[in-house]
Amino acid sequence: MIQFEHVVKKYGDATVLDDISFTIEPGQFAVLIGPSGCGKTTTLKTINRLIEPDDGTVRIDGDDISEVNRVQLRRRIGYVIQQIGLFPNMTVAQNITVVPKLLKYSKEDCDKIVHDMLEMVDMPYDQYAHKYPSEMSGGQQQRIGVLRALAASPPIVLMDEPFGALDPMTRSALQDEILHLQKKLKKTIVFVTHDMEEALNLADVIIFMENGKITQMAPPEEMLKNPANESVKNFLGKHIAVDDPSTLTAADFLRTNVVTVDSKKSLRTCTAQMMRSNVDSLIVTDENDKYIGTVSVEDIKSVSGDDLRVADVLKNDRETFRVDDDAKRCFDKLLSTKDNYVIVLKHDDTVAGIITKTSIAKALAERLWG
Amino acid sequence: MSVSIILEHLLMVVAAVFCSILVGLPLGIASYFFTRVRRIILFVADVLQTVPSLALLGIIMIFVGAGKTTVIIGITLYSLLPIVRNTYLGLSEVDPGVKEAARGMGMSRFYRLMHVELPLAFPIIFTGIRIATVNAIGTVVFAASVGGGGLGAIIYKGIRVMNMKWIAFGTLSLMAMAIVFDIAMGGIETRLNRKFSGPSN
Repeated sequence: MIQFEHVVKKYGDATVLDDISFTIEPGQFAVLIGPSGCGKTTTLKTINRLIEPDDGTVRIDGDDISEVNRVQLRRRIGYVIQQIGLFPNMTVAQNITVVPKLLKYSKEDCDKIVHDMLEMVDMPYDQYAHKYPSEMSGGQQQRIGVLRALAASPPIVLMDEPFGALDPMTRSALQDEILHLQKKLKKTIVFVTHDMEEALNLADVIIFMENGKITQMAPPEEMLKNPANESVKNFLGKHIAVDDPSTLTAADFLRTNVVTVDSKKSLRTCTAQMMRSNVDSLIVTDENDKYIGTVSVEDIKSVSGDDLRVADVLKNDRETFRVDDDAKRCFDKLLSTKDNYVIVLKHDDTVAGIITKTSIAKALAERLWG
Repeated sequence: MSVSIILEHLLMVVAAVFCSILVGLPLGIASYFFTRVRRIILFVADVLQTVPSLALLGIIMIFVGAGKTTVIIGITLYSLLPIVRNTYLGLSEVDPGVKEAARGMGMSRFYRLMHVELPLAFPIIFTGIRIATVNAIGTVVFAASVGGGGLGAIIYKGIRVMNMKWIAFGTLSLMAMAIVFDIAMGGIETRLNRKFSGPSN
């Protein structure tokens, strides 16, 4: 358990940590997030005393860490950093056993640790143990960085933007691995990032910081549902409550500027209307604007006679939807027929609009990217 | 006789560079650890280098007397600058990420220096030693003027009696020695550099 009690850190006039208090439970995956300069890295580094607070107390399992020898303290806390920081003069095996050696583990124990650790991330011992860091890719190096932090089985592991410098593919692979390791080893992990997606993926609890203060500390779901203020909301950005797709209705995808024609109009007027609007079918309504059917160019072509009205050729074989119908049903219909639109009606049977493939795409894009 | 003179010269060079490493390395480390003394140490090493080597040897001779000790002390002082400066430079240029990792892993200050910083700074420190050595080979020529012997003595003698053979022998041996050391140590240097650098740095 890690406890911060009224921790304050100042650099000159600037207050980096402004009376911070929180508790991280054992086995929790806590992610510190916030804009640059919010104090998240400072908070992390006070835990292994790379930074000493000016005021307040940090406790690990109840013990005030300022009373523990800092070198001894750090050997019991794993540490992974963005720059990876593997020792280039040491092999993978030597890098992994840095802390076990500091703790005076026997040579056999060290060897066993290297084997176990490499096996855990599926890196064959024979292939990797004796490589130098410069012979490996960034992703492999950071895997070793993580193993090095875990080698002496510390109960707490600190990670300072560990995957920030990796490409997106490698990053998500390592995120999965770290989640897997965490489940298996039950470490308390404190993880700094500025990437909300990463935080949402990994965290049991997210600690959002701003100007040296904690704005919100909550599990990811809770934070998504009730962001504490505007800046949390901005940070959550596109991740914030996109409507549950099952609640989307036809009304969300409507194209409303549709061309209708009165059933009493002559076919001549109707064709003129089609040409003006550049469409090959029209929605037909009665005198009260209620929907009664559709008329297409083919229907008109198939009849002859000057005095025919729209009512004489209209068809009423299309399935219609109501505005509050499930959007998915409209989509399925649209995709399964050769019609290029479906008609949506209001409850009083007047036309609300139509749904086309283009209107779906537009509405979806708007939801995704605003 | 001629071989023993070359060896005599070489001995003075090696002894001086060795003493210089012995003194310079700790001074370089001190400059890296303590910002306040850094200025003083680097300044003194700088100033020493600006004193003409002949004059420096002369001054030391007044205190210590003529002989090889004078030469070795003089060349040691003279070689300090490249060694101190490169030690300081090499240590400060170790990747900050590596330094932070070492600290965060729980290495003590001394352990960090011995196991991480010095090994990583070694290629640059070695460059300083090479420069110091090649310089010293040339500077030890002045040993002749303070009774230290070496190849300088043969050249002086050759000048005095206008003997081309002696002058040529002294000069060519010096040049050969400098070139051999430069190439050999340069080779080691490239290998050292190759060992630690790769896609990561």
